[in-house]
Amino acid sequence: MSTYVEARDVAAAVAAMADGARPVAGGTDLVVGARHGKAPLPESIVGIHRIPGLDGISVADGVVRIGALTSHAAILSSPELASATAGLLDASAIVGSHATRANGTLGGNVMNASPAMDTGAPLLCHDASVVLTGPGGTRRVGLAELWTGPGKTSASPDELMEAVELPLPPEGAGSAYVRLQYRRQMEIAVVGAAAYVEVSDGAVSAARVAITALTPVICRVPGSEEALVGRRLGSNDSVSGENPAVWTQTTEIGDAIHAAGQAAAAAATPISDVRASAGYRTAMAAVVTRRAVTAALTRATGGSVTVPASDWSER
Amino acid sequence: MTVTEERPTAEQQGTFIRPDGKEKVTGLGRYTADVNLTGQAHAAFRFADHPHARITRIDTSAARAIPGVYAVVTHEDVPENLYGGMVQDRLLFAKDTVRWEGDVVAGVAARTQAIAREAAAAIVVEYDVLPALPDFVANAQPGAPLVHPEWTAYDADDDLSREGNVVGHSTILKGDVDAAMETADVVVTSRFVADASQGAPIEPRAILAQWTGDRVTVWTSTQVPFAARDGVAHTLGIPQSHVRVIVPLLGGGFGSKCDFHFEAHVAALAEAAGRPVKLVFSRREEFLAPDHRREGMVLEFETGATKDGHLVARRATLHLDKGAYTGEGGFFAQMAAMHACGPYELDNVAVRAMLTYSTNQPSSSIRAPTAPQTCWALEQHMDQVAAAVGLDPVELRRRTLIRQGSHGPTGQVFDEIGMLDTLEAAVEMIGYGQELPDDEAIGVACGWWPSMASPSGAYVKLNGDGTGTIVTGAQECGTGAVMALPILAAEQLGMRPDDFSILYQDTDAGPWDMGASGSQTTFNNGRAVVAAAQEVRAQLLQMAAEKLEIDPADLELVDGTVRAVGAPSTSVTIAELAGTGTPLLGKGSGDLPENPPTDIPSACVGRLGLDSFLAPQLITHAARVKVDRETGVVRVLAFAAAHDSGVIVNKIGADGQVYGGVMMGIGQALSEATYFDEEGRQRNPGLLDYKLQTASDGPRIDVRWIEVDTPNAGPKGSKGVGEPPSVPTSGAVGNAIAQVVGRHVTQLPMTAERVWTTIQDVQEEAK
Ligand SMILES: Cc1cc2nc3c(=O)[nH]c(=O)nc-3n(C[C@H](O)[C@H](O)[C@H](O)COP(=O)(O)OP(=O)(O)OC[C@H]3O[C@@H](n4cnc5c(N)ncnc54)[C@H](O)[C@@H]3O)c2cc1C
Repeated sequence: MSTYVEARDVAAAVAAMADGARPVAGGTDLVVGARHGKAPLPESIVGIHRIPGLDGISVADGVVRIGALTSHAAILSSPELASATAGLLDASAIVGSHATRANGTLGGNVMNASPAMDTGAPLLCHDASVVLTGPGGTRRVGLAELWTGPGKTSASPDELMEAVELPLPPEGAGSAYVRLQYRRQMEIAVVGAAAYVEVSDGAVSAARVAITALTPVICRVPGSEEALVGRRLGSNDSVSGENPAVWTQTTEIGDAIHAAGQAAAAAATPISDVRASAGYRTAMAAVVTRRAVTAALTRATGGSVTVPASDWSER
Repeated sequence: MTVTEERPTAEQQGTFIRPDGKEKVTGLGRYTADVNLTGQAHAAFRFADHPHARITRIDTSAARAIPGVYAVVTHEDVPENLYGGMVQDRLLFAKDTVRWEGDVVAGVAARTQAIAREAAAAIVVEYDVLPALPDFVANAQPGAPLVHPEWTAYDADDDLSREGNVVGHSTILKGDVDAAMETADVVVTSRFVADASQGAPIEPRAILAQWTGDRVTVWTSTQVPFAARDGVAHTLGIPQSHVRVIVPLLGGGFGSKCDFHFEAHVAALAEAAGRPVKLVFSRREEFLAPDHRREGMVLEFETGATKDGHLVARRATLHLDKGAYTGEGGFFAQMAAMHACGPYELDNVAVRAMLTYSTNQPSSSIRAPTAPQTCWALEQHMDQVAAAVGLDPVELRRRTLIRQGSHGPTGQVFDEIGMLDTLEAAVEMIGYGQELPDDEAIGVACGWWPSMASPSGAYVKLNGDGTGTIVTGAQECGTGAVMALPILAAEQLGMRPDDFSILYQDTDAGPWDMGASGSQTTFNNGRAVVAAAQEVRAQLLQMAAEKLEIDPADLELVDGTVRAVGAPSTSVTIAELAGTGTPLLGKGSGDLPENPPTDIPSACVGRLGLDSFLAPQLITHAARVKVDRETGVVRVLAFAAAHDSGVIVNKIGADGQVYGGVMMGIGQALSEATYFDEEGRQRNPGLLDYKLQTASDGPRIDVRWIEVDTPNAGPKGSKGVGEPPSVPTSGAVGNAIAQVVGRHVTQLPMTAERVWTTIQDVQEEAK
């Protein structure tokens, strides 16, 4: 007998989950996946989409908090996130279609733990963690510890994800996410990469790079990060966010961006399937990484990169 | 998608918007899957477990024992009647052999779809597995293992040239190619490979069958109701009068719902279950099960040309993948051969096309069968010829395209045609020759497609209040017949198009029609509606003449009245005449136009009547694309489509066909393919990996109609419209890509990875 209940608060949801119910938010992974025969619909389901307070975006005490029920569409229209976590907007902007973005939630995207999820790489680069509440209380888990395999998390089945939290980036930071796109809507990540950089005194002071759909779990690429940190963006007058081509190709940073791309390609362990060959995926890992880093640096240096950066960086 | 109007909109012209549009876009429309009958059971099929195998045992007892199962049907339960449009090579339920992964072995009717599926899986089927034969080029070689060892025993169309796995061999031989090649300044050879693709309608097919005594009514999502009816009658061995086919709203077809498919399977299940049975395909089944997808092809061209841009000779060898069964697609070899010539002046031709069985999903008509792929290959080859002789590609076409008085590749002499005008119009609209960034370019391609004459019928009757009803055998699948037919009837009767209701499609009501296929509904059924309306017109004039005591010759029909010419106040309304109770009823079919003669030698084989193109539809497409050199991703930025479809009967409908056709063509160009594994199983049977273009990918599309008032054609000098918009599309995109990349991509679709690989090859060689 399958059952469906709707939770009115977090406690009720957690109680239902402790009784074996699976939470459903937008249902765009769970229900659609079941229809496709990916996995049967769970016997017992608890609807969490009407729990008050589980959506919404706030910035306080240097922490950006995004409620689990926040839809991709809501992320896209948030001015706070636009300035703080542009890379997340790049991701939410290209999730599925208008309908998917209106219904799909950040919580569902992150907890579904697909290696092709779009918000994963930018959130990882923003050092995000999730707030999990179970019968025993609330804990915070970093994303690198959360995702343990394709479709697998370290959250226990009775833990509800309440929010994603990430540190408010300082001045001079920028992030971006770029995905290879065969068409403009309804794509799935075949290759993607995110970058987060901090620029101070004309040099990269911090860098985080992560790749999507290229490894069993979305992961950071230390080699790409090392290639970038400490690199100078070139002389002051050539640092022009408006025209990144000038400084990315002719200076020290251009070589570093190239090396970051190569490191991402080396870190990738792609498969060959109907979507792309492993060889093409590897080559594209370098390309999207270079583009993500370039877009992040452009934003960090005050340049304008329209959302989604995937479109912006098409050549 | 931005759409610009070259001419006044339909409303400004006084034409009207499709009456079924609102219900479709608001979700109120009822499709076959929405029809339910009390007590209905649900159907599921057991498909072949191997692409090619001998069946050694079928045991349905376990399936029958499952609670809720009403019936299980196999080949034992239906007559052993082979069927197929041009070759009768298939049984409803596989008996000895399965020949592709979608072959149906058994059907189940059960209380719920879940039980039906469970029972279908519980049927025990044992096989001796045979080697899969997916390679249609290898299968065409003499001595290749046969997909149908019993092929000689099949009933088939006498004009098909068959041999072993080759279901259709067709040649066009003209002049002396060997001698002519010697006189050429350049000889260019090219080889191209096109993957299979799909019609991919939004609506997965659905069928509901209900018996009343020994008669069955079938609601089905088909483009061809009469072919579906005839298929049920033939395979179940019952008279056509015992089968009634009704088509609720149809959610697209694009050719994939042509032909008889699963109507008889469901009817047989309903009979066995003793209750109505309904089948609704999942998206996955819609990809895997129909014997209907676009054929994969391998194409080789050799063209000799002179420096001044004259084509002296053409050789071509084409291989087409028929898949496991023939269906209605037996004509593909000849159709492809015509497209390997294209709308060009050619005196010396040697084209050979082979349509060959394989153990892949059967191919059959998808919008302009064989044309998009062949045109894509030929038009890229033409650009290569242009480069070899040092001419601009548009200039080469200017010098070689057919025009009035031209002798075409088969000796057909053309009446007034707008081929060259379409070229000039497309080139002008796209801004050919403009300065572009170095990652953008414009490509141009030309193509053609025949208008198809077929018998067709309609009734027109008037209601007591002066409105009318058209009862037609034609089918509407988005082609716009619901607009064109009332427009034509209204013109004859001095009425307004929205004065008419249309009754389609019920095979017990309307006269026979070939269905929504071959770009021919308005072409043929329009003629029938005009003829039927003319009968009503004569009746009205006669009645009015008696009433007004005026000679019928002095009367005209205007604004819902019959009135005296020159004395409009002497009049009677149509409502008054129709309200008297005297039936006002006309029937018609009109006179069929005849195919123009040709002069190709009778030695040519596989002649099925396509070697001349009646009222040829002529097309030039031009695409401006942007190529991302690092990824190979191609975006089509602007598109120009210029068509000679004769006089346009209904512009809003014709424009719609071009917008949709161009989008489908761009999909075929860049992203749409069915990929088979080495055994012939589909690798991407779903919309996640079968990549249709989305509305966001749509470029600006400019449309221009070159309206040539065409003799020996459809109503008002019209030709067909529906299929040509997908014909030269991928060729134009391909030529544009090649301009940026420096080389033609030789595989269709030209996916990002294939474009990228071509770029890598060019760069490697430059080193
Ligand atoms: C047509 C289509 C296109 C898509 N395109 C993309 C795309 O481009 N990129 C992309 O990344 N994704 C895509 N998706 C996947 C999906 O839309 C997103 O992952 C979306 O964000 C999922 O959110 P949801 O609320 O619908 O998740 P649901 O389906 O409700 O849940 C997904 C999973 O997360 C669990 N879950 C949900 N909320 C919580 C919570 N608060 N705590 C604990 N567990 C929870 C559920 O139990 C389930 O296992 C697409 C889906 C569709 C149908």
